[in-house]
Amino acid sequence: MARNPIADQVAIVGIGSTGFSRDSGGRSAKALACEASIRAIRDAGLGPGDIDGLVGAAEPGGPQPQEMSAALGLPQVSHFSSPTPVAVFALVDAMNAIYSGSCDTVLLYFAYTRLPWNSRSAAQDPFRRRHTLGVMPAPESVNAAAAYAAWASRYIHEYDVPREAFGRVALNARAGAANNPLAAMKAPLSMEGYLGARMIREPLCLLDMDVPVDGADAFVLTRTDRARAMTKSPIVIHAATVGLVGTNDEDQLPSLARHGQHVVVESLRAKSDLWLEDMDVFFPYDGFSIITLGWFENFGWCGPGGAGRFLEEHWDEASGRVMIDGRIPVNPHGGSLSEGATRGSGHIREAVMQLRGDADARQVPGARNALIGCGGFFFNSQGAILRRL
Amino acid sequence: MTLTEIPSDAELVERFPYASIDHDNKALYRGWLEKSLRMNRCDDCQRFHHPPKPVCPSCWCSSLVPSEVSGRGTIHLAMFLHQGPPAPGVDYAKAPHPVVTVELEEQEGLRFTSTVAGCAPEEVRIGALVELDWVDRLGAPFPVFRLVEKS
Repeated sequence: MARNPIADQVAIVGIGSTGFSRDSGGRSAKALACEASIRAIRDAGLGPGDIDGLVGAAEPGGPQPQEMSAALGLPQVSHFSSPTPVAVFALVDAMNAIYSGSCDTVLLYFAYTRLPWNSRSAAQDPFRRRHTLGVMPAPESVNAAAAYAAWASRYIHEYDVPREAFGRVALNARAGAANNPLAAMKAPLSMEGYLGARMIREPLCLLDMDVPVDGADAFVLTRTDRARAMTKSPIVIHAATVGLVGTNDEDQLPSLARHGQHVVVESLRAKSDLWLEDMDVFFPYDGFSIITLGWFENFGWCGPGGAGRFLEEHWDEASGRVMIDGRIPVNPHGGSLSEGATRGSGHIREAVMQLRGDADARQVPGARNALIGCGGFFFNSQGAILRRL
Repeated sequence: MTLTEIPSDAELVERFPYASIDHDNKALYRGWLEKSLRMNRCDDCQRFHHPPKPVCPSCWCSSLVPSEVSGRGTIHLAMFLHQGPPAPGVDYAKAPHPVVTVELEEQEGLRFTSTVAGCAPEEVRIGALVELDWVDRLGAPFPVFRLVEKS
């Protein structure tokens, strides 16, 4: 086993969420972040004077840590940072800051606001319209988001994958969201509905892409020894990692057989006492459905190109969703495709809720261990294993 | 080397309003103005890389020569935009706009991304052979691919 002295040493003791919607009704990202943060701090049974670390994901349009400190009146913090999205970068930074002694208790927040380039309604908002990209790029690019459609074409070419494989990712998410009061997209979805959805970047359609939303998630993290004084069974970070390969430019990635997800899986497996057979709930990121298929294959639930067949074999007809071995649900909160584009914070929050036993209609009985694969293929691959002590 | 300073950096930025140009990739766009697709090649190990970087990722040599490539290759990735950023000559309502990443014949894994001009979207397939051509975009040359007829 690899060196992992931080295993189980940092706990998540508070969570708060605003819930997610296509339009928060004129509330700013900062207002949403404040609401989620206050909920999380209160959920932990703490107050502003207990927070000495502040980590906020650098989401476009979201508030900076110093703005949040001012808004929440935090008396003093000795660590603050704004890691790049997606969510596990910030989780890892908060974890390391606590374990290293930079601070004891971190408020970790993620605030999302629809922006003019991914939401037509946001483009009508005179305030949001001021957030622009700078240079309007040419269409002939596979930078950032478009890269997933481009590599989906390669995946389909190499493995002869039918659209239904992608569709099952979308259907599974929608089935979960139906039971999640925080979710933005709850209307039932059928395979016919998926196959009939508008193409955006073919081969990916509207329902292969996460839903731009307004909303915020927040977490409070502290040392596990302090958490034990607050609760009998704290939820701890057993292992967390990020992963990157050298050639990660989107169109130069050597192949689907070797990218950031593979580094994450190797690192996580080496750091963890727990692996697939120990898991009670699985959170593969779904900013794009192709990413989810990648996580299934790269974690080793199935072989390369086999995720579509795996989802079919482990499909629970009664509930219209995936149940691995009839036991392990996948993104039961609805994921980014249906809860909303939380860039992974929703996956972490749902993992904590499941491990606490607070997930109501979605609850996995007796859940103790959760596996999270966050981010995609290029420069934001990450993973975490959370457990209840 | 003085040739690469024409036009000026300021003019270069004006000619390509849709590009993010910097000191690492300016030679690429100066090449476009001469209808030449150039990629950084290491003067030491002779490896190409793209997009342009300040050092050779293979050997850390910083003597890099923007070198013309043929533009011939094989379609490696192919997507079709049904909506996207506005561009002259691109009408998403009329037909989906193909965007392809082509693996160039010069070196395994060396790729360039553009569109395929002069054919129907359904003719654009992964594995198809293409060659380079130039079209006008906003008054400056823009590199595109064309399908090579199979004999």
